Amino acid sequence: MHIPDNYLSPSTCALMSAAMVPVWTRAVKKVKEEIPKVKIPSLGVGAAFSFLLMMFNVPLPGGTTGHAVGGTLIAILMGPYAACISVTVALLIQALLFGDGGILSFGANCFNMAFVLPFLGYFIYKAVKDNMKSEKGEYLGIILGSYVGINAAALCAAIEFGIQPLLFKDAAGQALYCPYPLSISIPAMVIPHLLVAGIVEAVFTLFIVIYIKKVSPGTMYEESDEKKNAIYGLLAFLICLTPLGLLATGTAWGEWGTEEIGSVVSGGKALGFVPQGMKAGVNFKALLPDYAVNGLPEIAGYLLSAIAGVAIFIIFFKVISSFKKDKAGGKLG
Amino acid sequence: MDNLKDHKIEMPEWIYSNENYIPLTDKDTFINKSILSVFHVISRIRMQDSLDNSRFKINVSLNIFFTFLLIVLLSITKSFIFVVIVIVYLLSILSFTEADRLVKILKFSISVTLFTAVIMLPAFFMGNSYSSIMITTKVFATTTSMGLLSYSSKWNSITEALKLFHVPDIFILILDITIKYIFMLGDYSMNMLYALKLRSVGKNSNKYTSMAGIAGTTFLQSKEMVTDMYHAMECRGFTGEYHICNKSKFKWVDYIFIAINVGAILLFFHFERA
Amino acid sequence: MIEIKNLFYSYGDSIALDDINLVIRPGEAVALMGANGCGKSTLLKLINGLISPDQGSYSFNGVEITEKKLQDAKFSKLFHQKIGFVFQNSDTQLFSSSVYDEVAFGPRQMGMSESEVDIRVNDCLCLLSIQSLKNRIPYHLSGGEKRKVAIACVMSLNPEVLVLDEPMNGLDPKTQRWLVEFLNHLNKAGKTLITSTHNLELVHGISNRAVLFHEEHTIAADLPTERLLENVELLKKVNLI
Repeated sequence: MHIPDNYLSPSTCALMSAAMVPVWTRAVKKVKEEIPKVKIPSLGVGAAFSFLLMMFNVPLPGGTTGHAVGGTLIAILMGPYAACISVTVALLIQALLFGDGGILSFGANCFNMAFVLPFLGYFIYKAVKDNMKSEKGEYLGIILGSYVGINAAALCAAIEFGIQPLLFKDAAGQALYCPYPLSISIPAMVIPHLLVAGIVEAVFTLFIVIYIKKVSPGTMYEESDEKKNAIYGLLAFLICLTPLGLLATGTAWGEWGTEEIGSVVSGGKALGFVPQGMKAGVNFKALLPDYAVNGLPEIAGYLLSAIAGVAIFIIFFKVISSFKKDKAGGKLG
Repeated sequence: MDNLKDHKIEMPEWIYSNENYIPLTDKDTFINKSILSVFHVISRIRMQDSLDNSRFKINVSLNIFFTFLLIVLLSITKSFIFVVIVIVYLLSILSFTEADRLVKILKFSISVTLFTAVIMLPAFFMGNSYSSIMITTKVFATTTSMGLLSYSSKWNSITEALKLFHVPDIFILILDITIKYIFMLGDYSMNMLYALKLRSVGKNSNKYTSMAGIAGTTFLQSKEMVTDMYHAMECRGFTGEYHICNKSKFKWVDYIFIAINVGAILLFFHFERA
Repeated sequence: MIEIKNLFYSYGDSIALDDINLVIRPGEAVALMGANGCGKSTLLKLINGLISPDQGSYSFNGVEITEKKLQDAKFSKLFHQKIGFVFQNSDTQLFSSSVYDEVAFGPRQMGMSESEVDIRVNDCLCLLSIQSLKNRIPYHLSGGEKRKVAIACVMSLNPEVLVLDEPMNGLDPKTQRWLVEFLNHLNKAGKTLITSTHNLELVHGISNRAVLFHEEHTIAADLPTERLLENVELLKKVNLI
């Protein structure tokens, strides 16, 4: 589910990073309340665990194997806020050092896997557990939470992919980034998750929690004031989804039906075009002017969003450092 | 312990004879797969540790800055020629890299590119020739430049250089700790996977239970390590403040590197304007 | 039983085993000795088929063990049943949620019925005098108890060869003495033992033959244990003392 670079437009990436800022800010604040300052580096160990969890393969029916993402598991074990930070760090290391997932799409990947997955998974788990108040209820919560969590994350990724061809096209109507519309991206992402990955995630999460509960029940995360948190989390979730929704509905939501038909109709023509396109060099010249026409104003827009992305990045880390000073100030007061 | 009086060791009957055992078949490639992926990660971390800071060593902060910039430019550009020029540039840098690393970087970027090509294939036949070709080549350029960065610099110098982007020191410390513990917990869990493999001599009807045991124990172990770590850090006077001093100077290669990258930016605008 | 010929192994650039030749016959008790990082653990991993040699050959019961053969699940399972490995860090060997399940893991895989498994597990627990730990959680046991459980879960497979990596490490003197006696009994019962150790006081108790490693990852000496211990000059030369 790691989105690489160049599948999403830079402006989508900037938008997704922007959506993560309030989430990260809140997570840092909450973790600050939950963990004493001296223990902050221990988040690194949580991140290491979440990284390794993705390495563990489990068998699937038919002799193949699959691995879990473990976002909900980490939220159940460490609390959703610490999970958000740990998964973020794990994703950063994957993108920066292991080349897994893009640099620009880091924000989008965090949105799907460090925010939607652990928070939604955790709140479902919590809601079911609190309502049923039995061991069975807890297990049901784990299964539902982790299953819904990973599928929601996959759905988010699919939507991010799917809106690309609607929003970013050149003069010739060709998609600039991911070329698959929602009608393709959603089933392609969601069906495998509904049928396979989600089940692996749910079963593996359940078994690990059972093991840890049996071996060392004291290490599980206990939440203090649950009700308030649930509402806050849901609110944050909705707020973050709003810009995405506006963007999608406002500009192109209604359009994609015809667009899709268009691509099918032009399919025949394109096929005729392919062999020519393969005659390398000559064709590039023919291709170029087309794309260069709608040049400057759009570039300015792109650059602007890129700058916004960098600015947001800096702001995010400034926020973290301010929390450091905050604490020192608090001690003085 | 229960045996205060010296326990007399008595051997059961079966121990004197060899087991007459014909193994049952079972589908347990997942153990090998897990071992392989953990092993890959561990050896990757070990590999970057053996890097020497020798010739053609570009200042890491500069390297990160321009790699990011290049990735942004690549993502924005609509000029195929610009992408090709960047790829040529990256390949020429690659040619200066020692063979061992070169192969690993290319192996990685080519595999990701092929994966993208397969994904883009239907789009290509649906008439989206532009995006399918463009994205595939862009992916190659992006992964190669990221590969060059992560394979040519020590990771602690990469995390340290993030200071340039106003990443706070404490966050860099967290990143460093994460890498270290991926290695340590990875080694630990790999030994557990080995043990599982050695004892998987037949049919395991509870595969998920075994893997959950390994994952769960790894988690508990990580918790224990955390406690030890911050106790040790506290003993050494850690209060939550952490400072990194970044002492790097520009060498002549750095100026060449800057010049090349400024050239890349100019080219970018040239092709976008044309 | 075990035959190693001109074997080389390296981790990337660093050599771990350099031209090793070694023959171990059934019923022998062999100690592998040498300073830290001389390649003992690597050799043990190799003997257990966890890694494959870069060059040279390794045969078990007259069959050459290769990576390809180990990919055949049936072959690899039979091989792993015949040779048991007690890890240096017992923690990494225990992943079940009770000592009973831990010890029963192997026999259950071998297709024994639950009543046979029960007998086998109880025998093993008795053998190591850890019946009282039966329902405990392995994760919370003490170091010595964990070592005993780890040995029990290997013994329950009834292997012909038992390989132990630094089994004395981290044990108190009493448990060490117990372990020496236990290994002696096993050897008398016909089991082949291969133990890596740098514990000079206990090595003669657990082996009748000692293989000494050079720091350069080669074999420096292969002598009866008593004679090797007398050769102080040699032990100094390989930086063991």
